[in-house]
Amino acid sequence: MNPVMRWFHQLGSPPYFDRFAARWAPWCFLAALATMGVGIWLALFEVPADYQQGDSARILYIHVPAAWMSMFVFALMAFYAAIALVWRIKLCEILSMACAPIGAAFTLITLATGSIWGKPMWGTWWDWDPRLTTELILLFLYLGVIGLYHASDDRRSAARAAGLLAIVGVVLLPIIRYSVEWWDSLHQGQTIRVFGESSMDPSMIAPLWWMVIGTKFWFAGSLLARSRADNLRREAGKDWVRRLSGEST
Amino acid sequence: MSYLPYVIGAYAVFVVVLLWDFLAPRLQIRRELRAARLRAQRVRRPAAADPQGELSR
Repeated sequence: MNPVMRWFHQLGSPPYFDRFAARWAPWCFLAALATMGVGIWLALFEVPADYQQGDSARILYIHVPAAWMSMFVFALMAFYAAIALVWRIKLCEILSMACAPIGAAFTLITLATGSIWGKPMWGTWWDWDPRLTTELILLFLYLGVIGLYHASDDRRSAARAAGLLAIVGVVLLPIIRYSVEWWDSLHQGQTIRVFGESSMDPSMIAPLWWMVIGTKFWFAGSLLARSRADNLRREAGKDWVRRLSGEST
Repeated sequence: MSYLPYVIGAYAVFVVVLLWDFLAPRLQIRRELRAARLRAQRVRRPAAADPQGELSR
């Protein structure tokens, strides 16, 4: 068998996944702390203040990566849920459901930091603007997935129901993305482009990429840690969990 | 106008939420392993006790 395929098959084994997650999660967190540390240092102390927004523009270095993560994590959650529904792969169920609280955390950061930025810039903490409202709906969707997953003791059927909600919820992502173009919006349009020229000054963009990479590492670490916790919960009572707990049989 | 309180507030929210995200799974893992250890001890204890204790006079 192809070594990559063999590794994927091995990863489906709960004890193997537990060892894998326990080994790699701390490294992902360390990489996240290092990259985000550089990003935050540059954002707070190196980048010049914006000529219009002043120092409040420094908030965007956490707001924008968190907003991107809120949508990326939702898409990934739906992707894992689709695989879990079609091929009944337990690990994908676990990964999908582990995405939900992390995505909710990033969505909460997006809404809170956006609100804090909005107070001095827009003169209000909140506005029922299309971008803000759709992002709030995204948070409710995350909470719905978390709630559905914990509503039943039967983890597998609960994961299927919650996964279905995640798949249906994907329709919201393009609405969030294009809300600033489709409707009159207080929220500014796209200024940063992954492909193509950004309308942001090049001297101000480096910390943003550090934070984008850092949040990705953070997500990987958190996903492994949360999946490991759920894996242990599902496998409670198995010999390997008992051995891991330090209790010899 | 100084925006410092807003910047500090936003970064504080970021740190606090990520700290929760870091700690929550760790506490859950510890809870699961502790539950597994207690379960194993419960299973082992009756076998270790005197099997004739209560029933024989």
